[in-house]
Amino acid sequence: MASSCVSYEGCNFFRQRLVLSTLSGKPVKIRKIRSKDDNPGLRDFEASFIRLMDKITNGTRIEINETGTTLYFQPGLLYGGPVEHDCNLQRSIGYYLEALLALAPFMKNPLKAVLRGVTNDQKDPSVDTLKATAIPLMKRFGIDGEGLELKVLRRGMPPGGGGEVVFSCPVRRFIKPVQLTDPGKVKRIRGMAFSVRVSPQIANRIVDSARSILNQFIPDIYIYTDHMKGANSGKSPGFGLSLIAETTNGTFLSAEMASNPPGQGTPILPEELGKNCAKLLLEEIYRGGCVDSINQSLALLYMTLGQQDVSKVLLGPLSPYTIEFLRHLRSFFQTMFKIETQKPEEDGKGGEKVLMTCVGVGYTNLSKTLK
Amino acid sequence: MEEKEHRKHQKKQSGPKADRKKKRKAPGAGEEEDGRRRNPKAFGVQSAVRMARTFHRAQDLQTKKHHAPQVDRSALEPPPVVIVVVGPPRVGKTTLIQCLIRNFTRQKLSDICGPVTIVSGKKRRLTFIECGNDINSMIDLAKVADLVLMLIDASFGFEMETFEFLNICQVHGFPRIMGVLTHLDFFKNNKQLRKTKKILKHRFWTEVYQGAKLFYLSGMVHSEYQKQEIRNLGRFISVMKFRPLVWQTAHPYVLADRMEDLTDPETLRINPMCDRKVCLYGYLRGTYLKNRSQVHIPGVGDFSLSDVSFLSDPCPLPDSLKKRALNERERLLYAPLSGVGGVVYDKDAVYIDLGGSHADREQEEARPTAELVQSLIGAQATIDVKMAASKVSLFTGSEPLRQGELQEEEGADEGPKEERVWDPETRRERRRAIFTEEEEGSEGEEGSEEESEEEEEDSEGEGEAGEESESEEEEGELEKQPALKRLRVEGGSEAVKEGGGIEVPAFADSEDELEKSEGEVEESEVEGESSEEEEEEEDSEGGGRKAMDSGNCSEEESEGSEVDSPLLEELGSKVKHPKHKEKALEEEEEEEPCFETAGELRWKEGLAQKASEAFLRQQRSTPNLRKLVYGTVAEESEEEESGGGELGGLFHVSRPESEKRRRADGLDCSHYTPDATRDWDQQEVLDSIRDCFVTGKWEDDKDATRLLQEDEELYGDFEDLETGELHQGDSGKQEDQAEEDESGEGEDEDGGKVKGNAEGEKQQRLDKKRRLKERFNTEYDEGDATFFDDLKGEMQRQAELNRAEFSAVDDETRVQYEGFRPGMYLRLEIQSLPCEFITNFDPNYPVILGGLGASEGNVGYLQMRLKKHRWHQRILKTRDPLILSLGWRRFQTLPLYHIEDHNGRNRLLKYTPQHMHCGATLWGPITPQGTGFLAVQSVSGTKAGFRIAATGVVLDLDKSVTVVKKLKLIGYPYKIYKNTAFIKDMFNSVLEVAKFEGAALRTVSGVRGQIKKALRAPPGAYRATFEDRLLMSDIVFLRSWFPVSVPQLYNPVTSLLLPLGEKESWTGMRTVGQLKHDLGVKVKPNKDSLYKPVVRKKRHFNPLHIPKELQRALPFKNKPKNAEKKGKVPRDLQRPAVIKEPHEKKIAALLAALGTVHNHKRKSAQARQREQHKDFLRQRQKQEMDKMKRQKEARKKMFRMIGQREKKQQKSSLKGAAQHD
Repeated sequence: MASSCVSYEGCNFFRQRLVLSTLSGKPVKIRKIRSKDDNPGLRDFEASFIRLMDKITNGTRIEINETGTTLYFQPGLLYGGPVEHDCNLQRSIGYYLEALLALAPFMKNPLKAVLRGVTNDQKDPSVDTLKATAIPLMKRFGIDGEGLELKVLRRGMPPGGGGEVVFSCPVRRFIKPVQLTDPGKVKRIRGMAFSVRVSPQIANRIVDSARSILNQFIPDIYIYTDHMKGANSGKSPGFGLSLIAETTNGTFLSAEMASNPPGQGTPILPEELGKNCAKLLLEEIYRGGCVDSINQSLALLYMTLGQQDVSKVLLGPLSPYTIEFLRHLRSFFQTMFKIETQKPEEDGKGGEKVLMTCVGVGYTNLSKTLK
Repeated sequence: MEEKEHRKHQKKQSGPKADRKKKRKAPGAGEEEDGRRRNPKAFGVQSAVRMARTFHRAQDLQTKKHHAPQVDRSALEPPPVVIVVVGPPRVGKTTLIQCLIRNFTRQKLSDICGPVTIVSGKKRRLTFIECGNDINSMIDLAKVADLVLMLIDASFGFEMETFEFLNICQVHGFPRIMGVLTHLDFFKNNKQLRKTKKILKHRFWTEVYQGAKLFYLSGMVHSEYQKQEIRNLGRFISVMKFRPLVWQTAHPYVLADRMEDLTDPETLRINPMCDRKVCLYGYLRGTYLKNRSQVHIPGVGDFSLSDVSFLSDPCPLPDSLKKRALNERERLLYAPLSGVGGVVYDKDAVYIDLGGSHADREQEEARPTAELVQSLIGAQATIDVKMAASKVSLFTGSEPLRQGELQEEEGADEGPKEERVWDPETRRERRRAIFTEEEEGSEGEEGSEEESEEEEEDSEGEGEAGEESESEEEEGELEKQPALKRLRVEGGSEAVKEGGGIEVPAFADSEDELEKSEGEVEESEVEGESSEEEEEEEDSEGGGRKAMDSGNCSEEESEGSEVDSPLLEELGSKVKHPKHKEKALEEEEEEEPCFETAGELRWKEGLAQKASEAFLRQQRSTPNLRKLVYGTVAEESEEEESGGGELGGLFHVSRPESEKRRRADGLDCSHYTPDATRDWDQQEVLDSIRDCFVTGKWEDDKDATRLLQEDEELYGDFEDLETGELHQGDSGKQEDQAEEDESGEGEDEDGGKVKGNAEGEKQQRLDKKRRLKERFNTEYDEGDATFFDDLKGEMQRQAELNRAEFSAVDDETRVQYEGFRPGMYLRLEIQSLPCEFITNFDPNYPVILGGLGASEGNVGYLQMRLKKHRWHQRILKTRDPLILSLGWRRFQTLPLYHIEDHNGRNRLLKYTPQHMHCGATLWGPITPQGTGFLAVQSVSGTKAGFRIAATGVVLDLDKSVTVVKKLKLIGYPYKIYKNTAFIKDMFNSVLEVAKFEGAALRTVSGVRGQIKKALRAPPGAYRATFEDRLLMSDIVFLRSWFPVSVPQLYNPVTSLLLPLGEKESWTGMRTVGQLKHDLGVKVKPNKDSLYKPVVRKKRHFNPLHIPKELQRALPFKNKPKNAEKKGKVPRDLQRPAVIKEPHEKKIAALLAALGTVHNHKRKSAQARQREQHKDFLRQRQKQEMDKMKRQKEARKKMFRMIGQREKKQQKSSLKGAAQHD
């Protein structure tokens, strides 16, 4: 009676597959996970992710073979409620949080997740960035209210970690369709420069250097400095910057950078980091769109899961992650997006944009209890 | 009475009143000052609280009227309306459908099987389907019905099935229901008829809604209903509006009206029982259907669609809407299962139904005279079998009678009572539903109702005569229309091309090279003329195989030349226009053959290829990015290869495996690495995003300075009233500027600049106007725009967007984006249907393909709110198998009933409550919350009573259950120290006790306690403390809750797979009771459960002993008194017993006897006296009455005399007056 299984090879886009499988109820089978690698099978962070999925669901069946190269995942129903999870330190909390963002509105009980681990690293979107970009995006889709919150209690840098984040999200039965076609113009830039277990002066140095670049465009810039002390500062030293550009139409574009973990690579100067991060933000603004590059897939997911209406969203160029996500959406929900490229008519408006249009599948939250 | 002369009113000519009046009448006075102004106290606020309350109340009432607004997702060209005709057998369902079809299409359909689709009007198509009398069909069709015509045999009254169907409808979203009373000509007595009508109508109203439409079909003319009545009914149907039902609008569904078996004949030959590949056809209804999605076929099971494609509409609406009515050619009729379909298309072939020369003769014969024979032919079981069955049911018929009597004793049930009546005509038992209370209730209102009814009848009767003659003519004409017969034109070049044209509309405007590539593929399929012979052979073979056109094929070939029916012409005209389209293409590519497919097998080979090609073709036309994402462009991906590199490699989908593997194990990260080519230190790169900031340049329509200017222009004109100076907005200046702008932009385009300018000006003017209007509109609307209005507006906008977004895209692409939209005629291929579906196919049973949403194909635990149906006779037992109709599905499962305690605990119930909701948990298919369901205990045959056992709604879905039942653990004290006691026999080991440490205990006498610690000595014993000292005879118990597991049975009802004639006899799991009954097993009761006489030991209480210390402390009152023991009564005080002498005894006896006699005498005397007195009273009353009568008489006489005298006097006086005049 169970739906037909979807099968994949390789460990890439691991989260997408499990998330979509959980939402669509289709079991998924992933074979040949690092089968040619010296160290074959699932890594610890992936195992930790599977454990998190198990925590937020009820009735999930997971089968992993002995070498860990094959995974069979039969999803259960999303349960939610209070969840505590110690994330693996190989990846930051952002890795886990991205999946939770996608799943949280469809739980039985409002999710209140406490995640511990690395809050900022170089691989994944940091907690600050997700807080500043993904949360307002969710509000656009009607997932709002008191409950929607992402709080950073402690900061933790790799390799030691020790950060703590609380994410809570209300549940919804339906997702609203959206029409986000006009990104507007950047009206202000905000940011967060943080430093833990290093001199608090570093944050100021980052701010100054970042401002020096951004001031060419807009005067309304404010970058908060966040120096956490004592228990709140995690276990490893580090610093970083996350920049958010807000537009007149409520679009948030982000860029971020973090210092190298101690003992890995050459240490980076705070000034350099600030400048590079500012340039990354400019790059992001160049790409443009109504959703920034890290949240593209989230926006597309909510569009797909919306009611059976037309949703439109203007994106910057599609990231590889998003492209793969689109393919996955097709195989799990049979939705295809109408993809139209738009060349900006004038010169000073950044690069090519992509207009994504789709009809929602009319997804309803099957977990929510009817009272 | 004298009339007084009233004084005339004198108008005031002067004074304050006259002034006021004058002022009011004067034209320049303006509006009268209103009451509020004049008398402010009367209108003042007395109480702010009350005012707030009234305001709130008014607002509440206003808001209550609103419905939650919904986005209008109805299709532009809606699918045919499904009209289900329901009723017991022999009530006239088929006749009604025939009459309605005849009414709409002027065609006659003698044999109706499965759905019949007709065009009824310019914008409406109808699909009629007849619902058999079995509960499976009723359940399935209630889910897809838009309108239900509920036929009721008035001569018999309501039958149980009618009420069952109404209840089914209620659960699955109430479609529109119209009642139709037939067999009204059975009533000879008009009064009886009217009375029956009214009773039925009122009962119908209570079930549906007050004022629900009930039609009366009065009599038959030539075994058809009266034309006028049918016409009225048809009119009602064609203007009816339908409410959107939640389940139907949220799920796609197809009511299959055609079925083809596409299984490879070779595999079929090898294994006739192999799974079949089946094609089902039908209009898509509900919502969008995605390809490869899951469907459920009620009565068969869950399947995933292997291929879906849309075909051209076999029953299209007329194109132009200018005309007033449809012409004859547009009144189409499509019923492939009944053997009528005109031209039937498929991907590969075209079927034509042709009239044979002898076909109509056959039909003529089939009419009224042969009805009996026909019904016999139509019967699925032999008469002997039916007779046998009837005997059985007759036997059971005696039972319900007894049941009825029992019920009357109870008198509590308000449900319909069943009365079984044997109908010799249909040879079946009819279950009449009788309501006890309805007769009394309806009697009272009779008078008023009758009048209105008569009026109704009158209006219906009008104009009947006029129509009659006209329709008679039509009838004659229609009879000539030949019955249709099928011809398969397979491989016929034109026809197939038509088919191809339908499949690939994108074909006509796609690029040439694509065509070429297609040609190459096609070449393999191409065969010359010789192939046609093969084809014929195959055809006849195929004919034998197919259930539908068996027996026809051999004749078709021979008669092919004679065919010149209008149908073929139609085909010709249809075929023509795609041909025109393709002409140009054909010229370019001569080698391209005309899609000559050779036989079924051939086209099947190329199917996958073709499909991929069609896709390829599309891919090319769409922008590159789409190809990049959705890939599957296998050969022609040159551009991508040129991209190369690792990053480029990331984008490939369709690359060979090696590349795939490289990225397969890549880093899973959502970051998008920046493009290295842009250096953000360079000025020009920086300039490229200059306008992305608010500080940059704005678009014309958003630029603040420009908008300000325009405002000036619009509102800038004003006249200074003081100085009389005229200020003008600087529109001229602005125009200049605009011109400048334009010239700046338009430098590169030299020609037509002037023209452009003029146009630009015009455009600007228009823009300005529009903006002004918009502004006015917003200002005007803002005043009373409520939240509700905003929401509605938003929905409206969304609906418009939904309509507009894909309207320009051609269907082939559109289908990929949004799925197949409702209203399309689809061909749905299913890969592995059980062979019984084909071998036992009966078109009389509906085949529905119900689409399933995401994860609706999974199973889990469902928690529901359930209520036993009030009319169902018995309560339901936990874990007894029950057949549920939920969503699209019908399945058997084992529910657990439970009820929620005040603390949220779900406590198991052994039985459902009588008249209360309870929870039910079962293992079943995941279905969205809020979906209604109904339960029956059996779907086979007709069981006694009302079959719907329970109804309810899904509340929660989960993968685990939380139902618990109470478990009492019992132990006995074996040692008691004050408040501490050692308890044994409750547990078996120390470990068990450890688990329950701290648990609450209770004794039978109500002493509470707690488990403290396990003891070593007897295993399982423990120490416990209590609030009081226990007795050794006390029993200690521990109340605990034990989780119950729900049995995982999900058994879909596969009624469609059963052999012909047995489709109504599906039986699944039986209850224990049924099993015992069937197997003749007697219940062996538990010995402990039997009642035994209670033997209680006499309890002995020790005397109260008060210690001496305490005694001394007590007050005197409470001190035990040292009362000495009473000694023996002394002899002298003892009274001696009296012993009578025999003589004395005699005297006493005599005295007693005398006393008795005396008493009797006195009593009888008293009675006599009472009697006498009563007599006396009676007499006196009689006398009194007589006296009264006499007096009355006398008085009457006297008064009459007086009256006469007075009259005489008056008369004489009048006479006198008259004379006087």
